[in-house]
Amino acid sequence: MKIYKYNATQKLFRRAAKVIPCGIYGHYSPAPLVPATDYPFFTSKAKGSRIWDIDGNEFIDYMCAYGPMVTGYGNPKVDAAAQKQAKMGNCVTGVPPVMVELAEYMTDLIPSADWAFFAKNGGDVTNYAVMIARAATERKKIIMVSGGYHGVSPWMQGEGHHGVMDDDKKNVLTVKWNDIAGFEKTVSDNRGEIACFISSPYHHPTFADNEFPAEGYWQKIEEICRREGILIITDDIRAGFRLHMGGSAEYFGYKSDLTCFCKAIANGYPISALTGTEALKSAASKVFYTGSYWFSAEPMAAALANLREMKKINAPKLMHDTGKKLLDGMVKIASTYGYDLKVSGAPSMPYLRITNDPSLILHQEWCGECTKRGAYFTSHHNWFISTAHNDKDIRRTWDIVDDAFKAIKKKYGDEY
Amino acid sequence: MNHDLVKANLNLHAVLKNLEDITVFDREMKELISSWNVSIKFIVKGGPSAIARFSGGRCTVEPGAGGKASIILWFLSPAHLNRMFDGTANPVPLKGFTKLGFLSKEFPKLTDRLSYYLKPDDELIKNKSYLEMNTRLTLNTAAFAVPEILEGDPVGRKISSKIPDGTAVMRILPSFHSVSITFSNGAAIAQKGDTVKPTAVMEMKNAAVANGFLNGKTDAFTAIASGDVVIKGLIPVLDNMSLLLDRIQHYLS
Repeated sequence: MKIYKYNATQKLFRRAAKVIPCGIYGHYSPAPLVPATDYPFFTSKAKGSRIWDIDGNEFIDYMCAYGPMVTGYGNPKVDAAAQKQAKMGNCVTGVPPVMVELAEYMTDLIPSADWAFFAKNGGDVTNYAVMIARAATERKKIIMVSGGYHGVSPWMQGEGHHGVMDDDKKNVLTVKWNDIAGFEKTVSDNRGEIACFISSPYHHPTFADNEFPAEGYWQKIEEICRREGILIITDDIRAGFRLHMGGSAEYFGYKSDLTCFCKAIANGYPISALTGTEALKSAASKVFYTGSYWFSAEPMAAALANLREMKKINAPKLMHDTGKKLLDGMVKIASTYGYDLKVSGAPSMPYLRITNDPSLILHQEWCGECTKRGAYFTSHHNWFISTAHNDKDIRRTWDIVDDAFKAIKKKYGDEY
Repeated sequence: MNHDLVKANLNLHAVLKNLEDITVFDREMKELISSWNVSIKFIVKGGPSAIARFSGGRCTVEPGAGGKASIILWFLSPAHLNRMFDGTANPVPLKGFTKLGFLSKEFPKLTDRLSYYLKPDDELIKNKSYLEMNTRLTLNTAAFAVPEILEGDPVGRKISSKIPDGTAVMRILPSFHSVSITFSNGAAIAQKGDTVKPTAVMEMKNAAVANGFLNGKTDAFTAIASGDVVIKGLIPVLDNMSLLLDRIQHYLS
């Protein structure tokens, strides 16, 4: 099987490093790609489930731009809607009518949504949601799950990280995922001071197995929050519309007061959304919050087309079934080499880990070997399945997976 | 823990520790201590203590006030110790008055050499053997600073509970030097040498790459992206360790 080389990637990265902090920053940074030299950093084109790097290597993309790609790169229906809107106007003085249409569509689609507000990135709306919760409750403290990710504002980042001051984290309390007793204690210790609980619908940290809520977890959380006047903010940035078209709270059977969406809304067009209940509409109105490009029409038209398409084809089920088929086959292949490939999280956005080596080094090498053969796997982050991934992709991926396992078995023998 | 105390801990447990390697890898210093049979205890009032032993041509530096010493040097405070390391103060000898000549003439040859290797300039670093020694000592200092920063520095205390248990190894290839740092329950222990099953690894391609990387002279992300520096294993261990290493400059220039 052909092993990719990345000469052009390395050359361009050296140029990038001279003029851009980190060369490539944030979640696209090569740093967590282990080893970085097994990965492409720059994509020249994309179509369907595939990307091509600047060295001309073709990959089946299991990161889907870290989530935004959901119905295939260059989806003709979504792109046509976006282009039609762009011809009429994108970022213009005055609000595009499509914004109202999109808000109406989302409030129909999502049972807990009585209104919708649009921004650009996930962090825009998680931050806004917390501001609304504080305004509505007149309380300052918030609870989040340890290891949860809600964006890059200082309050969302880890203590001690560069640029994060002690005061930024002063009113942020953390609890462990699935720990009802710990949640109860935190609430009890801070009675009357907690504005909200912000959490993803299930726990999908990096570098660790993903965890679904334990039986009755969300229902108990909801009970405590209602009793104590604490608002529930669901950070559905990553899982939204990959589990359920009504939002992940519907999937797990609880009611969210505020829900943050982003990645899967518009198939890569830049838009995020916060939806909320009627009771919070007034507080949302009072919090001043805006951005230069938040009224751009093109992403709104794309979102409308994309959500309609996803609903029409029952995208969550399609992605679940594709993911399940792919993963079941991979686990089986791993076992033939004596490796235990553990899958956690939803099949539409799975986290994988070879358990034979708890340091993850073996898993990292295997992901690198797969990527060098054309299946783009990261080792530290959950993957994403789209509706564009098909049986041909699955079969090709199984071949790559097999060859990559063969390579690490040859290197390590029976060490693991 | 105040700034002076953290700095004193770093000076005594991370910087002074380098006497061990200087007396192995610098031929002149190896010769210098070859006939020494002396132990020097450093005691800081309200601060750390350590003992440097020279015997059989070998030097060891260990923390703690236990064990007998032929010379005892006393410091009024952590700040006093730090001033000595900065070259602006002298210790108070409590024991070893017959060895004052050794303290004033012989021992400074070694400590001056330590300063020389730890304070590179653009010209010195062009010399391969100097670069290699500076790199070795920088890696040692970094490793032995981690437990001190974790325990005493405000940032270190904040992130201590977030570092997964396990052993991180920093290696300079090809088989040039390595250090291991074991994290357990929010504390850390450093040692020179590799470990069989590390949970996290940072491998630097050679001494020159390591020197630039450890001293912040090359862009860390470029080094990782190009493969000059490879990180693997539990990356959160290395991420948090990086935050700790970044704190060293707040105490040691």
